[in-house]
Amino acid sequence: MSWITQALTTLGWIVVAFAISPMVWLIFQPYIKRWSRAERRATDLLRDVLTPEQCRQLLWHGYLEVPSQSVPHRVYRVPRTKGYVQVMEHGRAVMRLCLQPVECLPDADIVVLHKLMIEANEETYLEKANKYFCVDMN
Amino acid sequence: MFVESRRQSGLDYEGGTAVGMLRVMSRRGDDRVTWDEQKVLVGDPEAIAAVREAERIFAQERSKGATAFRVDPGQPAQRIEQFDQTAEQIILVPRVVGG
Repeated sequence: MSWITQALTTLGWIVVAFAISPMVWLIFQPYIKRWSRAERRATDLLRDVLTPEQCRQLLWHGYLEVPSQSVPHRVYRVPRTKGYVQVMEHGRAVMRLCLQPVECLPDADIVVLHKLMIEANEETYLEKANKYFCVDMN
Repeated sequence: MFVESRRQSGLDYEGGTAVGMLRVMSRRGDDRVTWDEQKVLVGDPEAIAAVREAERIFAQERSKGATAFRVDPGQPAQRIEQFDQTAEQIILVPRVVGG
């Protein structure tokens, strides 16, 4: 009888471990990724491309603001991690853009990619991105 | 911190040597090829081989749809179609698609 109880207890713990492992992974994933070689190299590139001020903005606000080269008062907000790029005009979100590389890249490289394309290839950037317009309900 | 990271990545501005670098974004972070422009000008075979290798990679990645940007400190990035050995840094980003 006792060995059955013991086996059930062990089985129960295994089930619990399996159940919580995705949550543990989600919590620790950013820290693990940060220490990967690819992320470190990508972070080096990011630091080389951004000014110290832009680095601080990315760190503290979680996004990088890249001014449009063709439309006055337009700013692109590039998130630090994967996600939509917000297009801001006069301080208000007017559009969200979704654009991704065909090859999987570290998060820091994706920030650099958006910055370079917006600064030097804005027309193509807008052509290729999927656009989601923000509707003002007021 | 900014200058240190530049030194770590192989660029040397303070010493006056013009070291160019090609950086190709990939899942591994970025792959780099560096060359010394001064040595290329005096015909150093190793430096010339490095430039040829950078040129080859540039052409190969461009044929796959990558976009090339010339990045100089303190200036906005500039899109380039041809390899430029006088550039301090060229970054190749892979082809992008709407998500």
